[in-house]
Amino acid sequence: MSQSMSQSMSQSMSQSMSQLVGSTTLETNSDPNAYAVQIRGLNYYFGQGDLRKQVLFDIDLDLLKGQIVIMTGPSGSGKTTLLTLIGALRTVREGSLKVLGQEIVGLSRAELVNVRRNIGFIFQAHNLFDSLTAAQNVEMAVELLDEWGDKRQKAIEMLSQLGLADRVDYKPSALSGGQKQRVAIARALVNQPALILADEPTAALDKKSGREVVTLMQQLAKQEGRTILMVTHDNRILDVADRIITLVDGRLETDDNLENFVNTHDPKSLDRRMFMM
Amino acid sequence: MRRRTPLAWANLTYERRRLLTAIAGVSFAVLLMFMFRGFENALYDSQVQLLKLLNGDVVVISKLKLNMFVPEQFARRRLYQAQAYDGVEQAYPLYTTTAYWKNPETKRIRPLRVLAFNPQDPVLPLPGILAHQEQLHLPWTALIDDRSRPEVGPTEAGIVTELAEQQVRLVGTFSLGTDFASGNGNIVMSDQNFLRYFGALGPDEDRRTLNTVDVGLLKLASGANVEAVAQALRNQLPKDIKVLTKAEFVQQERDYWRNNTSIGFVFSLLATMSFIVGIILVYQILYTDVAEHWAEYATLKAMGYSNWYLLGIVLQEAIILAVIGFIPGFLISWALYQLTMNATGLLMQMTIARVINLFIATTIMCLISGTIAVRKVQATDPAEVFGS
Ligand SMILES: Nc1ncnc2c1ncn2[C@@H]1O[C@H](COP(=O)(O)OP(=O)(O)O)[C@@H](O)[C@H]1O
Ligand SMILES: [Mg+2]
Repeated sequence: MSQSMSQSMSQSMSQSMSQLVGSTTLETNSDPNAYAVQIRGLNYYFGQGDLRKQVLFDIDLDLLKGQIVIMTGPSGSGKTTLLTLIGALRTVREGSLKVLGQEIVGLSRAELVNVRRNIGFIFQAHNLFDSLTAAQNVEMAVELLDEWGDKRQKAIEMLSQLGLADRVDYKPSALSGGQKQRVAIARALVNQPALILADEPTAALDKKSGREVVTLMQQLAKQEGRTILMVTHDNRILDVADRIITLVDGRLETDDNLENFVNTHDPKSLDRRMFMM
Repeated sequence: MRRRTPLAWANLTYERRRLLTAIAGVSFAVLLMFMFRGFENALYDSQVQLLKLLNGDVVVISKLKLNMFVPEQFARRRLYQAQAYDGVEQAYPLYTTTAYWKNPETKRIRPLRVLAFNPQDPVLPLPGILAHQEQLHLPWTALIDDRSRPEVGPTEAGIVTELAEQQVRLVGTFSLGTDFASGNGNIVMSDQNFLRYFGALGPDEDRRTLNTVDVGLLKLASGANVEAVAQALRNQLPKDIKVLTKAEFVQQERDYWRNNTSIGFVFSLLATMSFIVGIILVYQILYTDVAEHWAEYATLKAMGYSNWYLLGIVLQEAIILAVIGFIPGFLISWALYQLTMNATGLLMQMTIARVINLFIATTIMCLISGTIAVRKVQATDPAEVFGS
């Protein structure tokens, strides 16, 4: 089967799927303050002119506050792009995107920078400064707030919650991969952001530390009522999700809770394309 | 209140080897700038060194003497006339010429500048000259400049050799140094000895008497208005002489060298090139730092740091490099100034003004590099740090 045929088949299939599932499982809530993220009619394109390519198609999505939402989908389906749009790292031109109650479409660059300060970002790579200790890396985030007289204390508390109390003065080069990612999580969470965006945070970790990291994120989120949107390919960590959404070829396909998701997907082959062939 | 995390310092010092390279780069640029500026000024300063030391408030020279190179004299009579004016207390004649000196060891001949005056007169009040006033009265004696070029040979009292093909005995030394007009060094002798050496030359040679003076020095009464006296003399004495205040005399010489040679241009060009080399070296260092920490800086942007903050970090690194690179560059230059002075006799002055100027130049140099390097971070799209 040729590549293009498989793609068009998966596309048509995904459309029918989203019609099927979308209406039955979309939660509705009339209070707009109940949502951390509200997206309506979002389209996104890369490139210009002849090279212009649409990567996100008519996305509607509401994320309830306090929920952990996992986003899955084949590689190249637009997950990272959607995450960067919600995180105010890219400018949205079509549709509406409300983050933490604020419409960010049409904001200036400086205003977008301010929106970002309320969001915790966790990347696939830890992106820690090698020259700074674990505590200093976390303090860099605290310094974004106006009051940071007790920044070291805050950093140490956060690192301790992630099990790194005895590593606060270590530089990244002296830490394991899992420990480094936990420092990065501490940095993302220390300012208690209402929204946490994570893009494959466990991809660079082994099974055990990946599991640990996600469990810690889950605990912290539940304690503090944070909203988490996490992209992952890792089936073993799906159980932390309150809700699972799937993006295929730029379209939001499935909107499920875990039980439905497991029932409708073969857990061994979540990739829709592999499923097809 | 706690201080900000010293990210600039941490990044700069984290990799020791790169830091050392960076410091060496800045130091090198600083060194080059110091040396070229030093040479440029040495050449100017050396030209006026003797002029500044001459003990007179007003100077009289032949109107043809455009600079110290020109061997034009004026009549001693003019000095007596000047001395009669109100406010003028003393008038000293200074005789100069160039004479061949035989190195007492190698027997090689070198031209030296001869400065002759009445040892009783404080014409050139240097310690070495004041200490040997009496011995200078002895016939066929002289003092030698101990900052003459090494080719002149040993410079110490007691040496007997030849000057202008006549025997001469050194009775002591003084310290002056060389310039364009006295490329090898200086000799000081009494006016009477000047007459002995240069008054009885053959017919085709430039026979000298004490009746024509090279430079006349006027000492004014304390409280006299130097400008006014000079102006009065200028107006009333015959026009075959030029009357200058000491400052004007020094300025005339300096201007001559500045306007009639390319020294200034060449050395300014070299110093500017060092400055640009410095910019490139520092840019390389800062750019490498920025490029290697691209993802981290982009993460800071994603977290909510502005471009200004990142610019601040890179500029801080630039200033730190300027400061810690300047110090060794300055110290090495100082040592090289001493070395150059000893080897060439040129006047290499490490003035506070020059140190401050070059420190400012170094800082600007590093800031320019930082500003260019930081454009990379500022253009960074924080969205790009998300994995795909
Ligand atoms: N900066 C970019 N410029 C142009 N195209 C891009 C860029 N980033 C991603 N894309 C394209 O957009 C699509 C979605 O990419 P991405 O959001 O990274 O998908 P995912 O994270 O689901 O793997 C892909 O086809 C990718 O090639
Ligand atoms: Mg991705």
